[in-house]
Amino acid sequence: MSAGGAGGEATGGIPQNTLIAVGALGGLIAAYAGHFLVQAAGPAFAFIGALGAICAIVWGGAAVRRVASYGLGTGVPSIGMMALGMGVVASMFGLAVGGIAGPIVAFITASIIGLVIGALANRVLGMGIPIMEQSMTEIAGAGALTIIGLSVAMTGTFMFDAVLETVVATGYIAVIFIAGGMAILHPFNANLGPDEQQDRTLTTGVEKGAIAMIVAGIVATVSTDASAIPTIVIGIALWYVAFRKYVELVNRDAYKVLGTGLLPSEEELE
Amino acid sequence: MIDIAGILAENIAYIVMVTLGGMLISWSVHFVPVGGAPAAMAQATGIGTGTVQLAAGAGLTGLVTAGAVMNVSDSVALVVASGAVGAMIMIAVTMIVGTWVYVYGVGVPPASAKVDYDPITKDRQDLYVSQGTEGHGLPTVSYVSGVIGGALGGIGGAMIYYALMSTSTTLSQSDLVALASIFAVGIFFVNAVIPSYNIGGTIEGFHDPKFKKWPKAVVASFVATLMCAFVGVMAIGGL
Repeated sequence: MSAGGAGGEATGGIPQNTLIAVGALGGLIAAYAGHFLVQAAGPAFAFIGALGAICAIVWGGAAVRRVASYGLGTGVPSIGMMALGMGVVASMFGLAVGGIAGPIVAFITASIIGLVIGALANRVLGMGIPIMEQSMTEIAGAGALTIIGLSVAMTGTFMFDAVLETVVATGYIAVIFIAGGMAILHPFNANLGPDEQQDRTLTTGVEKGAIAMIVAGIVATVSTDASAIPTIVIGIALWYVAFRKYVELVNRDAYKVLGTGLLPSEEELE
Repeated sequence: MIDIAGILAENIAYIVMVTLGGMLISWSVHFVPVGGAPAAMAQATGIGTGTVQLAAGAGLTGLVTAGAVMNVSDSVALVVASGAVGAMIMIAVTMIVGTWVYVYGVGVPPASAKVDYDPITKDRQDLYVSQGTEGHGLPTVSYVSGVIGGALGGIGGAMIYYALMSTSTTLSQSDLVALASIFAVGIFFVNAVIPSYNIGGTIEGFHDPKFKKWPKAVVASFVATLMCAFVGVMAIGGL
């Protein structure tokens, strides 16, 4: 089982408060900007929602990195699945009852659910991780904003009728669930270990978020209120940049990078 | 603005049902023999993956079977029973294939390191445990425990789905199915992760000493699911 890294809080790099600001504000602002720009200037601007989702994903990935460094006793993926479990419940509630305030209601609901589950994990289950409450709040909020951001990219709005029709009833919500969950849990899971570096982990988050963005763009092809092409093109460009950056960082952190050549042929093995 | 008190009064039974379902899922996870990566290397007893993945697999299968039966019947007993059977089949098949891999592929006898004698077959266990391991394979007691866990998880998942589907709403049937399913999946994941933090890695089944910790997880799930139930019923009932 991947039990996390060094058994203490992961440190270094960008301070968590900066990432909270980027994720929470970026996610919310992008959801609203996407919604209003689509209404004012046309469906091409739906991609802004996915950019907000990437902000939230990077924030969620950073929060997972911090809390999972303590060693959860179970796999890192569990916390990502929990993020989207809490996020999907809160975001559907927020969008259903909130109307124009939907993303904010969803974000607040997710934060409350996350805070309570974090407190339960420490007080009742006795996990004893000092930042558990804060991290679960952050992770739930990031999960909810990821779902809303990708929904905006798919439908061009966060109004519940459109989201219900295009995203939920068609089952694409399951794609968001897994793509968003993977994007939040995978960065730390893939990079954990003694040489884990924040910039490398977060670059993986951007790269996974870009993949989710491309998927959202493909789904947008069935929606009349969201253009698919800008989302897909910007997603691919982002993915390429982030992946190049990731390879660069892996080369930086590796002790040595060697070309091993192709597998030997049968004759060579004899 | 939605009529919170009205929706609550009308659907209080369903909130209770969802909460109960969440607690059942939380309890069920403790029954399933989870070995994680060590089990994948035949160094611990159980299935070689994490609690969340297994619970999700069993729960979602139960959800699918419960949904299929809900198309043809309104009986809560039938829906819950079909959910239980679906999840039991899924977990049983996973365990039997795992056992084949351990016995014929890895070449180890299924043996528990937590007890000297299997509580069900009374077979001696300690002689067969390889040195340096925490047991391996899926001995009878773990298998039976896993099937019980599947049944409880399936009942829980089906109860959540049934309750959300029965909430009074003006949504069309297809939208309601979609919304109830995604809420059920979300609640299922939350309740699969809470017990896995309680267990912390591997568990063999109800004979494992860690099993005694289940009340903590069920209490935590009670609080967490109550919130989710409130939120879910409010969202569906308010539309």
